[in-house]
Amino acid sequence: MMTPTELADVLVEMPMPSAVSIGFTTESYFDAIRGVVDIFASKKNLETIYITSQMPSNSIIDVLTLLEIDMKRIHFIDCVSQVMGGAVARPDNVYFVESPTMLENIMLKVEYLMRKNKGKDSVVILDAINSLAIHNNTKILSEFFHILINSLRAKNAYTIIFSMEDFSSEELKGMMSLICENVISMSGKGEG
Amino acid sequence: MRIIAVLTMVTKPIVRRAGEERNRCVTGVEGLDNILNGGIPRGNTVLFTGSCGTGKTSISLEYLVHGAIDGENCLFISVTEASVKLLENIIPYEFFDDSLIKKGKLVFVDMPVIYNKLGLVTVEFTLEDVDTLVKAIGSIVKELDIKRLVIDSITSVCYRLKTEEKIREFILKLGKTLSELGCTTILVSEISPTAERYSLYGVEEAIADGIVLMGNLERRGDLLRTLQVVKMRGTQHSRAKYVLDLTPCGVLLVPLLKGGSVSSGGG
Repeated sequence: MMTPTELADVLVEMPMPSAVSIGFTTESYFDAIRGVVDIFASKKNLETIYITSQMPSNSIIDVLTLLEIDMKRIHFIDCVSQVMGGAVARPDNVYFVESPTMLENIMLKVEYLMRKNKGKDSVVILDAINSLAIHNNTKILSEFFHILINSLRAKNAYTIIFSMEDFSSEELKGMMSLICENVISMSGKGEG
Repeated sequence: MRIIAVLTMVTKPIVRRAGEERNRCVTGVEGLDNILNGGIPRGNTVLFTGSCGTGKTSISLEYLVHGAIDGENCLFISVTEASVKLLENIIPYEFFDDSLIKKGKLVFVDMPVIYNKLGLVTVEFTLEDVDTLVKAIGSIVKELDIKRLVIDSITSVCYRLKTEEKIREFILKLGKTLSELGCTTILVSEISPTAERYSLYGVEEAIADGIVLMGNLERRGDLLRTLQVVKMRGTQHSRAKYVLDLTPCGVLLVPLLKGGSVSSGGG
């Protein structure tokens, strides 16, 4: 089982821009967050754009607070809260997408935040592919990732896609292998 | 090298070498400039057409603001809404600077004021009125050395012209006058969400040099704002559909994903 520091060390070695899929089990979810959002982003001095499709941004913010992770340089794109009828509070660093099916709007919010970051080195984290796959078919999802990752490559940004290994179909694993240069499995089970 | 000489009604022929690029009016809307291979060919009259809430006015304003920032004199002629109200309602662009208006780089004029000054008070304009109106707009553009013009909306002007003949006359004369003055013009056109043509009267679309279709696309209950360049004389361009967002950074565009099941809903 990979520790957060080991994960961050692997990521730090990857050239910019890189697209990486990180697979983990439910138990190592917090370790993946710490490894990427805290250690890796800090070491590389990166602005972080965190796309939440797994759970609402306020839950992720609670997790990051619990892990004592500094959130000054993290912006969230929340694809869950509005579809649940939530998101009453609108923190400054959270941008809402109406539904996880509005994949173009996710790209538009990423584009907006990249512009706001004004060329600063960035990492875009998508948490997680499994929940997006609930709402979208594989065909449109592949197209979405293909465009998003290439657009981020052009902007010299890292793309990190979280994947829950226990819930990943062979199709999703195949997609990750195709669109990402690197596939990391924190559990050592292997993603592809 | 072969020379193409294009003779027009203007006494001086426009001479352009084969393969030579036309001078561009960079809109400043990055996604749109990419679609148009660098911007609108200078002097073109372009119809921005779509149903309500599709972002026609926002993108037109952004086009003018970028022009003004680049030092060009820009004019917005508001037909349907008082300029003061319009300015209150536009998205507060991060790149917008009040001084552009104070310096006269960005000018707002209400069409009813022009009508009043010209004594055009009848509900239906005559062909002479059309002439008078085109000359008046041409004079303003010439006097202020306007390089970018937006008329929002042309549909409201056409409403007072009534017949196809007068609409054709108006747009042809206006386009010619503005093109000769080196002014690149956006005519905002309103259509209903279910319209199967690009303009209310069907004449505007045939005469304009370019058509940018803005619409709402419904996909599985989600409503997406879309933009598609249907026609643009003088340049190669993408004809694909893009999804847009109106943000404080300006209009952003990304390609429409085609993998899902798509049902059209008004453009």
